[in-house]
Amino acid sequence: MQALRTAATGMAAQQLNVEVISNNIANMNTVGFKRQSAVFEDLLYQTLEQPGAQSSDQGNIVPSGVQIGAGVKAGSVYRITGQGSLTNTGNALDLAIDGQGYFQVLMPDGTTAYTRAGNFSANNQGQIVTADGYLVQPTITIPANTTNITISQTGQVQATVGGQQAPTIVGQLQLATFLNDAGLDAQGNNLFQESAASGPATAGNPGNPGYGVVMQGYTEASNVDPVSEITNLIIAQRAYEMNSKVVTTADQMLSTAVATKT
Amino acid sequence: MDNAIYVGVSRQIILEREMDITANNLANVNTVGFKFESMISNDDPATMPTLGQPPTTVNFVAGVGVARDFTEGSLVQTGSPLDVAIEGRGFFQINTPSGPRYTRDGRFRVDATGTIVDQDGDQVDGGGSIVLDPKKGPVAISATGDVSQSGQNVGKITMVNFESLSALSKDGANQFRNDSNLTPTTATASMRQGFLEQSNVDPVRQITRLIEVSRAYDSMSNMLSATDDLSTTAVQRLGAVNPS
Repeated sequence: MQALRTAATGMAAQQLNVEVISNNIANMNTVGFKRQSAVFEDLLYQTLEQPGAQSSDQGNIVPSGVQIGAGVKAGSVYRITGQGSLTNTGNALDLAIDGQGYFQVLMPDGTTAYTRAGNFSANNQGQIVTADGYLVQPTITIPANTTNITISQTGQVQATVGGQQAPTIVGQLQLATFLNDAGLDAQGNNLFQESAASGPATAGNPGNPGYGVVMQGYTEASNVDPVSEITNLIIAQRAYEMNSKVVTTADQMLSTAVATKT
Repeated sequence: MDNAIYVGVSRQIILEREMDITANNLANVNTVGFKFESMISNDDPATMPTLGQPPTTVNFVAGVGVARDFTEGSLVQTGSPLDVAIEGRGFFQINTPSGPRYTRDGRFRVDATGTIVDQDGDQVDGGGSIVLDPKKGPVAISATGDVSQSGQNVGKITMVNFESLSALSKDGANQFRNDSNLTPTTATASMRQGFLEQSNVDPVRQITRLIEVSRAYDSMSNMLSATDDLSTTAVQRLGAVNPS
């Protein structure tokens, strides 16, 4: 009976749904995290009677045909790249992007990764690095004896070195944008890499048209909305239960069919 | 005599199909833009030749078609700028490699070239493709389907309708195919940006249907057993050489 297999696809889909939701909830407090959503599509249909087919020699037309679906499949799991709320930390090297764009990070293997998690700090050489110690590109070195760092909304980094009155410009931050940032390849550790789906990165200064601005002293919170995640979790669980009911019922029907012949 | 068995089986075959359809409805309880279906069956009278008696008519059960309920599913706000729902009658047109397909699943995105595509990467029709410039800021989609970026119109999402929706057949991936000779007309429904149309499957109704189907199947099975018993008894009684 097809119903058994159909219900199994429904259960598998809801299981994937729960996995995606649980990852969102687990990352509720991850800086720069973007929530994901599973997309479902109905599976192929088996056409038993073609709509519009003739049912008699007199030219009667079957009005709607008989098509029986084979269940559901996970189309894709897509990332919702909406802005997370900005949290004030007061830390001079905590940066949040308000708007489009990603910080560029130089990976140990020489490739560039992209992140919205701007909880940066300085390493032992004064260079601005991510929480994992990877260099933020372009490399900006904070001079020794710096008493104050100011980063403007357009990404200009100014340092006031002890004993001097005026701050000096030590670097310019750049952001990268993508045509389709939902298509970026997630690497874990809040890092993304460009993929064929995302298109190539275009770097530019913050505040330029199409680029967001940099907010010093803030980090971007995850855009997970706990209430909607929990609601989705309830929906997924109930849908799973209903599909398991179909399995039970189909099984009962089969056992009835077997029991007919005593 | 055997007719009872055949009529019972014809009903059971339809019930199994109905079970398959209900299972598909419930599997798609969370599928955006899904439209639930139900089996339509009617009696299929056949006149049986009977020895020495006037011919009797036996009503078999035959499946006529699948009814698709195009009631609108509830609209849920997602806030994503490229999620679009249609309020009223109408479909988006997707240009796939195998021809135009129609859908009410408005989960769009842009591909690497900035073109608005559906989740499978097929182009959303706008009399051609609609290309967004990521540097021009947020996208606005009006109720008529006009797509604009920072006040500049960049295209219009096509919305079509069909005189008779039963001409459409399902193609999977939330899409419908038009194999009939009906030409799509322009729809007058309105689009809602940031909303998605949920599946219109009503779980309570489907679970109830599940119970009905399995009970009807049981009762047909009982009838088959009873008919079989009847034949057995008849054979035993008539075949007894010395009825006691």
